[in-house]
Amino acid sequence: MAHSTDSGHPLLEGLLVDLTPFDKRFVELEHKWENGPAAFWGDMGDRQFFTRDHLRSRRERNAAERENDSSPAVTFGIQTKDSTPIGLFVVAYIQPAFRTAILGAYIGEPEYWGGGYGTDALLLVVDYAFDWLDLRRLWLVTMSLNARVLRQMDKVGFTMENRQRNATLADGTWYDIVMYGLLRDEWPGRAAMLERLNLWPRAQATKG
Amino acid sequence: MIEGKLVDLVPFEDDYATYLESWMNEEAWFRAHLWERREPHTEDMVKKFIEKMEKNERGALIGFQAKNGDPIGCVIFDHEWSRVRKADVTVVVGDTRYEGTDEALDGLLMLLRYCFETRSLHRVDAVALTFDEVKFDMYERAGFAHEGTLRQHIRYDGDYVDIEMFGLLEDEWPGYETITEKLGLQPSGLEPKPKLEKKDDKDGAKDNDKK
Ligand SMILES: CC(C)(COP(=O)(O)OP(=O)(O)OC[C@H]1O[C@@H](n2cnc3c(N)ncnc32)[C@H](O)[C@@H]1OP(=O)(O)O)[C@@H](O)C(=O)NCCC(=O)NCCS
Repeated sequence: MAHSTDSGHPLLEGLLVDLTPFDKRFVELEHKWENGPAAFWGDMGDRQFFTRDHLRSRRERNAAERENDSSPAVTFGIQTKDSTPIGLFVVAYIQPAFRTAILGAYIGEPEYWGGGYGTDALLLVVDYAFDWLDLRRLWLVTMSLNARVLRQMDKVGFTMENRQRNATLADGTWYDIVMYGLLRDEWPGRAAMLERLNLWPRAQATKG
Repeated sequence: MIEGKLVDLVPFEDDYATYLESWMNEEAWFRAHLWERREPHTEDMVKKFIEKMEKNERGALIGFQAKNGDPIGCVIFDHEWSRVRKADVTVVVGDTRYEGTDEALDGLLMLLRYCFETRSLHRVDAVALTFDEVKFDMYERAGFAHEGTLRQHIRYDGDYVDIEMFGLLEDEWPGYETITEKLGLQPSGLEPKPKLEKKDDKDGAKDNDKK
């Protein structure tokens, strides 16, 4: 199938989403997303006011750092099957000597939360990290208030490894920062996870 | 300078910069900076590290020395996160004779005193490799809680090893006076190292030129 440049080039194809380069369609939306509710959850309770200029220089700085850095990162855009950009996924802080990386993601459009899109993307990225990047451990950090992520981690088989008590403030209340880890030999592979989580029929229902 | 019971905190300069060239290539350093790849640190890299820490607005590199002026090592706070008033704390006992002594513990207590009583932090974080019992003991005596374990997080001499994570909250810190009194810190009575010879003393060289 031919893709026009406006519809993204899927690198990883899922049931509900594809992961594509973080192209200019995503860059356009970043300003809305970074100033919206996804950023509050992604930044563990922070709310910031980002100008387009600030975001541009941050992108440039990150790109420059990654070029000569010892801990590179890979960024994907997440789009639905009809090529609507809805979020991003990052494999960051890749440590070649340890073969670890940290995962970070958000769906910038809240109407897509809780519909299985994030889990579909996560399964793709975990497979990618183990099968292509040859990593052996993935970890991620969130706040204890983030029930969606806690539920998702549990479903997908990450282990809660650390709980920093009262480590972040969200809307005036202290919450713990929780860290999750997944080792390669604990991962049954994406196909097995799709089966286990019954995602095929759910995906049909979501799309229909 | 901030004076403590067994150690004082001082600006990281003079002899400290010279000592750091060996400290940064020793086991204690690599254990404390366990996130970083193990590689030799050249003189130039050491200088760059000191410069980086001088410019660092979210952290500081501080020397700590015994009451007789003997440099013991450095204490570091870093990644200070102003919104939630939290930082990472590290103690490097450069002079290994002091490993496990109350001077080393007092270095940590003085750093905590600085974090909570001067910088008004809400919480500090500390880490240790899973077999580093000297560190666990030190964190425990200082009142830290063990909060979790990052499994197989680090490649260490042919193995993947766990990292133990510790935390201490502002309202769990009894205050420097109270905790040192409770712990009854005892000096180790170690002899000070012989004074370093100045290796490129620029002022000295100038004086010689004048003669
Ligand atoms: C985190 C995120 C990417 C997950 O993607 P998602 O598509 O929403 O996740 P999924 O729908 O696949 O899975 C979330 C699970 O949480 C459940 N869930 C949804 N809302 C919930 C809530 N308020 N409380 C508890 N569980 C909830 C969902 O039902 C689902 O579980 P299920 O499959 O058993 O039904 C997305 O929610 C998001 O972008 N959130 C904001 C930013 C963020 O938190 N980023 C992550 C920081 S670490």
